[in-house]
Amino acid sequence: MTAVHTTDAAVPTTSSAPRRAAPGGAPRRRGSAFDRTLPYLLLAPALVAILWLIGWPVLSLLVTSFRQLNLKELTRGQVVWVGVDNYAKIFAEPEFWTITVRTVVFTAAVVAVSVVAGLLIALLMRQISPVVRIALQVAMLLAWAMPLLAATTVYQWIFDQQYGILNKTLVKLGFDSFAGFSWFTTGTSTLSVIGLLIVWQAVPFLAFSLYAGVIGIPREQYEAAGIDGASAWQTFRAVTWPEIRPLLLMVTFLSLLWDFKVFAQIWAFKKGGPDGASTTLPVYQYLEGISKSHFGVAAAVSVVMMVLLGLLTFQYLRRLLRQEGSL
Amino acid sequence: MTKKVTANVVGIVLAVFFAFPVYWMLSSAFKPTKDLVSTDYDLIPLSVTATNFATAWNKPGFLSSMGNSLFVTLGAVVASIVVGLLAALAMSRMRFKGRKQFVLLMLVAQMAPFEALLIPMFLMMRDLELLDRLPSLILIYFAVTLPFCAWTLRGFVNGIPLELEEAAMVDGCGRWGAFRRVTLPLLGPGLVATSVFAFVTAWNEFLYALSLIKDQTKETLPVWLSGFQSAFGTDWGGAMAASALFTLPVLVFFLVVQRKMVTGVTAGAVKG
Repeated sequence: MTAVHTTDAAVPTTSSAPRRAAPGGAPRRRGSAFDRTLPYLLLAPALVAILWLIGWPVLSLLVTSFRQLNLKELTRGQVVWVGVDNYAKIFAEPEFWTITVRTVVFTAAVVAVSVVAGLLIALLMRQISPVVRIALQVAMLLAWAMPLLAATTVYQWIFDQQYGILNKTLVKLGFDSFAGFSWFTTGTSTLSVIGLLIVWQAVPFLAFSLYAGVIGIPREQYEAAGIDGASAWQTFRAVTWPEIRPLLLMVTFLSLLWDFKVFAQIWAFKKGGPDGASTTLPVYQYLEGISKSHFGVAAAVSVVMMVLLGLLTFQYLRRLLRQEGSL
Repeated sequence: MTKKVTANVVGIVLAVFFAFPVYWMLSSAFKPTKDLVSTDYDLIPLSVTATNFATAWNKPGFLSSMGNSLFVTLGAVVASIVVGLLAALAMSRMRFKGRKQFVLLMLVAQMAPFEALLIPMFLMMRDLELLDRLPSLILIYFAVTLPFCAWTLRGFVNGIPLELEEAAMVDGCGRWGAFRRVTLPLLGPGLVATSVFAFVTAWNEFLYALSLIKDQTKETLPVWLSGFQSAFGTDWGGAMAASALFTLPVLVFFLVVQRKMVTGVTAGAVKG
């Protein structure tokens, strides 16, 4: 049950539906007023929800970023336009740039490590015996399924300064300096622990998805490569890589989207500390907006986040839209 | 031969790496406190107790936050699935003007970075006087999960041959009858998989739960657990037991539908 036996038949193809005739109901019923309005009636709730709860907030975000909106203006209901002052203010702060660079580097590192690890595990899963493979899949499933905050709490316990199993193990192995070692005194080591936690939870999805792609490659292609005397690396380049490249792009894109926005783990560990050294843009946005009630400034930070996300994922998004556009 | 052995050894090491935190959560949850705060090295519990679970269960806030989490999560999932299914049927089965635009809108909405909409959402919920009230979270989780649900369900509906519905209609079913007797039963697994994904998303959500709810009696489980140090102090056994109880429902669902989730999420991969 836990083994992933993905066949193409199990994949709900969204991009193409070759066996399906042109969409449309039974032809003889088309034409009645009810039939013509039915699709719009069905779509109406979703459309209203998206416009109201996604479209409107996006507009409101842009508008807010040009307003001075602190607790004072909010309670009095004042509208104070300040043009690009909020942006000028955050751009003038060296701290903002530190945080932005930190966020981008952190995201890139986490995505790179988890995608590469996911790919390697996907390839490994084909080489190992079924028993080991199922054990590995169950283990990854456990990591994947764990709620973020439960996982965060467990990691805090594992990395606990005094009684954490990691420090105990390191001491046992002879690294005595780790007795009572605190992993959370610098931003880098705090983010490394958080990064490890994120990778640990992200790899299972990546590995399962890529494994599904890898086992879809016909055996004959590998046999042909073997007959031609290709090395393992050549086989990978010539057979595996072209087949899984689209999937790899897809999961990299999704990972970027997910990992850039990470908030819960960072907040739960040290609230962006020590001394702001593990603060990323989502944390900064929360601190400015919710903690300090500087809604205008925080909105400007959010806009920067959106732009950065857009830049990071632009290429892929364009391809995706082009493909869907050809539907 | 040795290559095969190496691969298997690496596989086992990785399995341990992924399973260890889960194992450690459970084993710590069952350990008596004196074994937790000791310098002894014990990978396997020397004695087992259920006290930690009782402690966690009886902690002020645990049950109420569990109830709040269930309430907002189930509310959002039901809304998303119903609204998403209606939209999926229209997108997949009907031809109408603006269909393509709507499909694109769904695709783009799925990418919406909700974390970046924190400020306008906060202001909006304030205007609606929903701050500190759970319906605000239901609305937001509904919006977060809706595009994904509609998109994924569309894929599942596409997978059901139209001919089946047409056959039912030839046999005298109306459009509704054909849907209820043919499409809906075939859609069962897809509905389950999609709702589990929505469930996990809402169950995990932290940023909005933290920002919109300040009243402690209305906290959701993730927020309550993030403040476990105020609830448990250094009682790691209790914290681990609470984490285990938090994990349990998700784990059960996951084991049931894991395979469908992988295929569902990656279904839109760009070819070529």
